[in-house]
Amino acid sequence: MGVPAAVGHLDADCFYISAERVRNTFLLGKPVGVLGNQGAFVIAKSYEMKAAGVKTGDPIWEAIVKCPHGVYLKRDFRWYEVLSRLMLDVVREFSPEVEYYSIDEFFFRVPSDSERSLQETAEVMRHRILQQVRVPVTVGIARSKTLAKLISDQAKPFGALALVDPEAERALLDRTAVQEICGIGERRAKRLAEYKVFTALDLALANRKLIRSLLTAVGEALWFELNGDPVLPLYSQRPPHKMLSRGGAIGKPSADFNYIWGWLVRSLERLIEELEYHRVCAGRLETWVMHYDGQVGVGKVELNGPTDRFDLLLEAARLGLRRAWLPRRTVARLNLVATHLQWPGSVQRGLFDPPAERAETLARLKREVNDRCGRFALRSGATLFVNEFYKDEAYSYEVCDVRGKICF
Amino acid sequence: MLAETAALLPFLVLFLHLCLSVFICGSFFFFRGAMFGGIALSWSALPLEVLEQDELRRRVHERGGEREVQFLFRDYAPILPVWHEGQLRLVTWGNRRRDSRRLPCTGWTWLATVEAGGWSRCDAEPIDIPATMGLENGVWYQVRQGIRGLLVRDEHGAARVYMICEPASYYYRVMTRSHWMPVLIGERF
Repeated sequence: MGVPAAVGHLDADCFYISAERVRNTFLLGKPVGVLGNQGAFVIAKSYEMKAAGVKTGDPIWEAIVKCPHGVYLKRDFRWYEVLSRLMLDVVREFSPEVEYYSIDEFFFRVPSDSERSLQETAEVMRHRILQQVRVPVTVGIARSKTLAKLISDQAKPFGALALVDPEAERALLDRTAVQEICGIGERRAKRLAEYKVFTALDLALANRKLIRSLLTAVGEALWFELNGDPVLPLYSQRPPHKMLSRGGAIGKPSADFNYIWGWLVRSLERLIEELEYHRVCAGRLETWVMHYDGQVGVGKVELNGPTDRFDLLLEAARLGLRRAWLPRRTVARLNLVATHLQWPGSVQRGLFDPPAERAETLARLKREVNDRCGRFALRSGATLFVNEFYKDEAYSYEVCDVRGKICF
Repeated sequence: MLAETAALLPFLVLFLHLCLSVFICGSFFFFRGAMFGGIALSWSALPLEVLEQDELRRRVHERGGEREVQFLFRDYAPILPVWHEGQLRLVTWGNRRRDSRRLPCTGWTWLATVEAGGWSRCDAEPIDIPATMGLENGVWYQVRQGIRGLLVRDEHGAARVYMICEPASYYYRVMTRSHWMPVLIGERF
């Protein structure tokens, strides 16, 4: 028995909360919020907390007023990654083509030789994940990725729905606001509203050329997808990165050079781990400095040749920081972005690069020590100024270095 | 002259009382103002003989359809559950009502004071305070095992427990706006 060509979207329900409940059943049924940004904001909440009026992004001091009996937790990306990969394994049991879209979302192609109907596939998959990973998920199956995501969004929580009938699709699109479509933000929605496009159905029925002129090729692809024509590719392997980035909030905002430099070096060491993992070298290093007053500075440094060497990237980061940091201003966030990535095999060495032997020996030693003794066991002395964050085991839970996903 | 001395007498008595406290228990840092508000323990974590005690009845609350017992410092008679000699017991939390003239009138003590031997003259015993949640400045947060505490006896022989605190980590400070945090067992915020 064959099934029509279809794509599925699996989305974990309140993933961070569900993940915490897996290891602590005491949290079941309680209003729970997971905090991010050093404990300042609610980044995920349970349905019970949502019912009390708490929104994602609410500061903790507002959340406790809306939900005084809520239980607040620290996020733990390492644990979330463990469960995320378990879910990925289960989805792969159903389909050989799975896109690891984000830590809690997966797209998959329903095999055409499946013996189950599409609705059965959605239900069995949902049940299997609950049974094996103990995380409740919602599964939506449709003719395209965009439709499948819209279906799973509407079927939440703990839903399983397959819709491939055009009439049923139209009804769904009619009750979906256009900004609920992934890829349509507030600005694009405003633009569409000028042409009386308010719902997903309006968009699907609009003139394709008009949509292309308003929303470029991205919007045109959405138009095809909403009409049941699957044009967006399903990436079962992550396409090579065009850039790699590491960074984030620097603990407490500071204007102290040593502290800021310590954080930048920490981010650089994380970035080099990524370069090594993906076996690429950076041709350019960008240092992004987000100041506490909202101003953003960027320092772009072209490297003499593509490299993943710590000593060369460190000098580039130093120069980048000098360009990006406004003097004496308090810094809140730092980001390092490696661009112009190249495979090491095709790298032209610079004439004036210092000899590589010593740097490579050091890098190898560092890798080996850290593999054996734990991440950051051996690290640059510059990071001593942020020692408190290395000593604080809990802080490493804040680091999200989950590899292989398509988006964050 | 005599009248002036008599007027100063209450202050003199208070001063001597403070000196006595410091002399007996070593160098305390007195916690004042808003501090760690309390803990909650799920109903199922408490043994039946403890649950039957009258003083627990008014501390029972419901959260998410599950019963829990809240032990708050602001209670009229604050108590805490402690593991002592293999048993879970309810013990008076600190000396907020100043029943003891010998012990500091607070519910907490610094980890640094404990480590420096500040309580050695009081025959203090380290104990574990089981908890499933902690409360600080209105923020309830999850506690995996419990909190470290110190069990001491007052001049009447009654047991009292002091919660051990340390300077708050940056995360804890942002989350609760408190500069101190309890010493948690097997984890750190």
